[in-house]
Amino acid sequence: MKLSPFEATGVEPNMNQNDIAPPISRRTLLQRSAVGFGSLALASMLAGKSPTHASMNNPLSARLPDFAASAKRIIFLLMSGGPSQVDTFDPKPLLTRDDGKPLPFAKPRVQFNTTSSLLKSPWKFRQYGESGLWASELFPRIAERVDDLCMIHSVYGTNPAHGGAMMKLHTGSDNFVRPSIGSWVSYGLGTENSNLPAFVTICPTLAFGGINNWSSSFLPAAHNGTALGNASVPSIQARVKFIQNSKLPRDIQRLQLDRLNAMNRKHLGQSGFDASLEARINSFELAFRMQSEVPKIEDLSGESATTQKLYGMDNPVTANFGRMCLLARRFAEEGVRFIQVTHNDDKVQWDQHSNLKLGHEKNAREVDLPIAGLLADLKQRGLLDDTLVWWGSEFGRTPTAEGTRNGRDHNPEGFTMWLAGGGVKGGFRYGSTDDYGYYAAENKVHIHDMHATLLHALGLKHERLTYRYAGRDFRLTDVEGNVVRELFV
Amino acid sequence: MFVVLMCAVLTSEKPAVANIPTAEQIRFFEANIRPLLVVHCLKCHGEKKQWAGLRLDSREALLNGGDSGAAIVPGKPDKSLLIRAVRQVDDDLKMPPKDRLTKRQIAALVRWVKMGAQFPETTRAAGRMRDPNHWAFHPPAKPPVPAIKNPKWPQSALDHFILAKLEAAGLSPSTRADKRTLIRRVTFDLIGLPPTPDEINAFLADNSANAFVRIVDRLLASPQYGERWGRHWLDVARYADSNGLDENVAHGNAWRYRDYVVTAFNRDKPFDQFVIEQLAGDLLPFKSEAQQHEQLIATGFLSIGPKVLAETDEAKMRMDIIDEQLETTGRAFLGLTLGCARCHDHKFDPIATADYYALAGIFKSTLSMRKYIKVAEWHENLLPSAAATAKKADFDANVATKKAAIARFTAAADKLARQKLAAESDANHPQKLESLYPTATKAELKKLRDELAALEKAGPELPSAMGVTEDKVADIAIHVRGNPLKLGDIVPRRTPPVIRGPRVPHFTDKESGRRQLAEWLVDPQHPLTARVFVNRVWRWHFGRGLVRTTDNFGLLGEAPSHPKLLDWLAGRFIADGWSVKLLHRLIVMSSTYQQTSAAAPMTADQDPENRLFGRAEVRRLEAEAIRDALLAASGQLDSTMGGSLLKLKNRAYFFDHTSKDLTTYDSHRRSLYLPVVRNNVFDMLQLMDFPDPAVSNGNRATTVVASQALLMLNSDFVMQAAADFADRLIANSSDDDQRLSQLYTIAFGRAPTSDERLADHAFLAKVAQTQPTKTDADKRQRHAWATLCHVALAANEFLYVK
Repeated sequence: MKLSPFEATGVEPNMNQNDIAPPISRRTLLQRSAVGFGSLALASMLAGKSPTHASMNNPLSARLPDFAASAKRIIFLLMSGGPSQVDTFDPKPLLTRDDGKPLPFAKPRVQFNTTSSLLKSPWKFRQYGESGLWASELFPRIAERVDDLCMIHSVYGTNPAHGGAMMKLHTGSDNFVRPSIGSWVSYGLGTENSNLPAFVTICPTLAFGGINNWSSSFLPAAHNGTALGNASVPSIQARVKFIQNSKLPRDIQRLQLDRLNAMNRKHLGQSGFDASLEARINSFELAFRMQSEVPKIEDLSGESATTQKLYGMDNPVTANFGRMCLLARRFAEEGVRFIQVTHNDDKVQWDQHSNLKLGHEKNAREVDLPIAGLLADLKQRGLLDDTLVWWGSEFGRTPTAEGTRNGRDHNPEGFTMWLAGGGVKGGFRYGSTDDYGYYAAENKVHIHDMHATLLHALGLKHERLTYRYAGRDFRLTDVEGNVVRELFV
Repeated sequence: MFVVLMCAVLTSEKPAVANIPTAEQIRFFEANIRPLLVVHCLKCHGEKKQWAGLRLDSREALLNGGDSGAAIVPGKPDKSLLIRAVRQVDDDLKMPPKDRLTKRQIAALVRWVKMGAQFPETTRAAGRMRDPNHWAFHPPAKPPVPAIKNPKWPQSALDHFILAKLEAAGLSPSTRADKRTLIRRVTFDLIGLPPTPDEINAFLADNSANAFVRIVDRLLASPQYGERWGRHWLDVARYADSNGLDENVAHGNAWRYRDYVVTAFNRDKPFDQFVIEQLAGDLLPFKSEAQQHEQLIATGFLSIGPKVLAETDEAKMRMDIIDEQLETTGRAFLGLTLGCARCHDHKFDPIATADYYALAGIFKSTLSMRKYIKVAEWHENLLPSAAATAKKADFDANVATKKAAIARFTAAADKLARQKLAAESDANHPQKLESLYPTATKAELKKLRDELAALEKAGPELPSAMGVTEDKVADIAIHVRGNPLKLGDIVPRRTPPVIRGPRVPHFTDKESGRRQLAEWLVDPQHPLTARVFVNRVWRWHFGRGLVRTTDNFGLLGEAPSHPKLLDWLAGRFIADGWSVKLLHRLIVMSSTYQQTSAAAPMTADQDPENRLFGRAEVRRLEAEAIRDALLAASGQLDSTMGGSLLKLKNRAYFFDHTSKDLTTYDSHRRSLYLPVVRNNVFDMLQLMDFPDPAVSNGNRATTVVASQALLMLNSDFVMQAAADFADRLIANSSDDDQRLSQLYTIAFGRAPTSDERLADHAFLAKVAQTQPTKTDADKRQRHAWATLCHVALAANEFLYVK
């Protein structure tokens, strides 16, 4: 067999591709994979399941992290639009006491809309679990699992508009097109399954940055997120584009591939060696395998009724999001590194400038049970140990009222995200906002810090995960980012 | 958050020559070895202390070694004491003393020694940064055409430069490609479409000496040339039909700029003129309405960039937009990353923050936006024409007439209603008399109003184009760390002093200075503009520039592989009146261009990257050419030129909160005319490496990923093209062998071999067998041929040019 480009040049894990790195033989790579990541890929390679050539020739080949990782993959549950921290997980007694009074300190210099006085939360909070973490009555099911949650109450961003904040959240930049966090993870670690991409996003929104929120930008195209549908289609219809042929059955496609292979081999022989010609021949075989692999994952018929119920798929209110969560678990099991699930309806789901009560209750009902189900299912399957679940949004909401005192404005100054599994402490609170929940106060965690921390969980040093483009080295965290080590066990 | 740019690791611009570290080697050293030595070794083995007589701060010192002998044996890590020490295998030689390097660090050291232990000097490295003597800042030399040994090979002076380098390396170029390869290569290259069977046959039959030049001239004169090469420029101009970023609204009039570019290439508008129009077209005199419009449209270059339109901080939005204009102008014309100097002096190039704000003042004095309040709106220049004005006046009159009619109607009806009210002596006047109208009257009024609404909806807008105009002229202050709230000294507008050669322009308080900036750019003494552009053209012809970093000629860019050729081409380009078509002719008529892709064995071995251009390269077609070629093969290509296929109104949202994609791409027009929607580029083009249209990019990537294969295997578009292609073959001949000949000629530009015929016949038979026997013969035949055409259209030979 001809040497793959990997063997010829040697590519060290997690280093910029432009680096010259110690040459790694395929065997060494396999050995390294055996002790670290990529054991799935290894197993399938050794079992001869996947044509090793294609996978070794693949920029998505599994790679070692920088150091021992606490998580192998991330499931990101994006609550698009901005759930209100003071109505969900960050109770503020003074906000209740001072309802209707003016905010006793200055509002940010730049705001999205104008807001008036303080608005207390319409929901009651109480403490749950052994840890005594707080949750409001919006999330009764998630509340039962607080002992698995690592609450970060002091997240802050910089952009008070959806578009900028969404791009910041996904790419670390709100005014340039940059690779998405999932693409960085794909670039850093590759995929554990040579038949699947490393980054999958389920029903993402095309607004507010659109595909840039799951694009690889200047990273190699193989690290683009693979989208299943988008926010305009129900999850039951969400499919990877071009994954199946509507007209030709598999046996004819096999005939076509064989003929194509013969043509391409002949052409290769006549053209002088060119790596991309060879790679393209392999890419068709990989595509053919993906074609059967992805629909298998999308097919939930093998899931028991109990499991489907666990995700709320028996209830029209929760079925849509439940299906996304179940798909996320299935992709996680299959070795995808970064799986994003977006909760976004035909408005901006959680964006309650008005109708806070109705809107947040509707939204919470749709996700509460499926998310709790996902956490329970991951745990019972032992997947929560090395899967980091990340719940959050592009920003939170103001504790002050908007309009006729039934809504809240965007607030990037301080809001809550939570993590679960993947080596973080359960039943743990980190950081806080001020007494009214407007600004992050103690142990502030910027979006860049969040990114650095997520990469850290995967065993990646955010300062070292760089890519050279247009004359300089780029990072997900730009020149910022501090790992919040306190979150880890 | 203000833009804070990340610092890059140092690299070299030295080309790879034996025993001199390559850029990659230096990069590897600076990224992996030097930091390690500094942290772990130099405290005891450096400038201040030399424990055991050993220093580790230069290659010489390492070779000289210390008390135990040489620290390294270049190329032999296992024989190097340094490696033994860090591996800590001997009890008496463990370094660092109280620590242990990671396996990764040790591996890096081993690798480094194995590569020859290149140790780039710190002083040299430091001196290279911000070097005002960097080659690209000096005006091009006028190099003589070099002497060569083999006088038979060159067809032009250009070839002398290429051959001289090859000969110096002891290598020889490849032979001339065959005619089929040449016509396919040059046709795709110049017009982005495959040659037709007739064109191929005519060329094969033409044995005259000027057969090839006739092809070239025909292609350069065809309107498809501008569509192909205009598209190249649109990559640089980050052209898009939508804003992208946060508020993805329609650039309803961007197409005018796209058409302007196509026309400019077709008419061979001198490139210097092209530069001036794009930066300052609104400030130029004009002789006709058409010329005035053209020049206004050209300034769309400055307007079509992506903008954060919902940026709540207006001061920041304003500077962000200026930054985008400056960065794009810098990349497109100068090959410099000016944006790096927004927050701090450029880390690598001698561009100070003051230089940045001196240029930013030019754009601050330029009006780009109608308003900055979110959602902000860009400015458009009206394109006044007698016809459009008359049409608008006509329309306004019609609307006025209709409104007057409605007013008369309601006045009369009101009068009746009041009379009725008076008769009923009802004191409670309702506010609106309309509610008292009889049903018939109400219906008639509704009809009139509907007519008015329909009329207004269909009303002509005065044509306008995205572009810029003059604003209040002002110099601006340095924004400390890019922060519009922290202002430093005011910097007068000026061009960066490091760029020497052109006459220094004089900026006045009467004009923004865009015209002066543009004229400075195209001064024949300017060291960058002509070089950057001829290098772009070379890149688009050969797949790789003489300077490989086409968009970065700064210190982090690569040095040219053929500096003299670059300068010679730049000089020739200017002497030829900045004619782009003459430049193409010069290049494609060269022996260098006409080589085969099969290299002489020595050349392939010694120059695997083809840095010396000793052969042609096999290249995949660009995204647009793939789609266009599919349409051409299927006989479905619609060659209509110009205009907009956008269905949205200007400034309308592509995606509001729903994610429904209302843009359709079912047109059979050339790909150039399909809407370019930032944040959601048409999937077929995006998968085939269409560049991100938010950023200027003169060097598209070519990737190979499985999702492209899925597209080719399963997309309706490719399937339809295959079906149409098959129908075309079936319609043209009833003989399978003739159909096969045609299939191969159309798809690959050649006849099938007898082996291929056999394989294809067998394939057709097998596919036909899979069909139920009761299917009628015609249908089975069409299906089988479509299945085979599908294979051909997915084949490398179709998608790659030799």
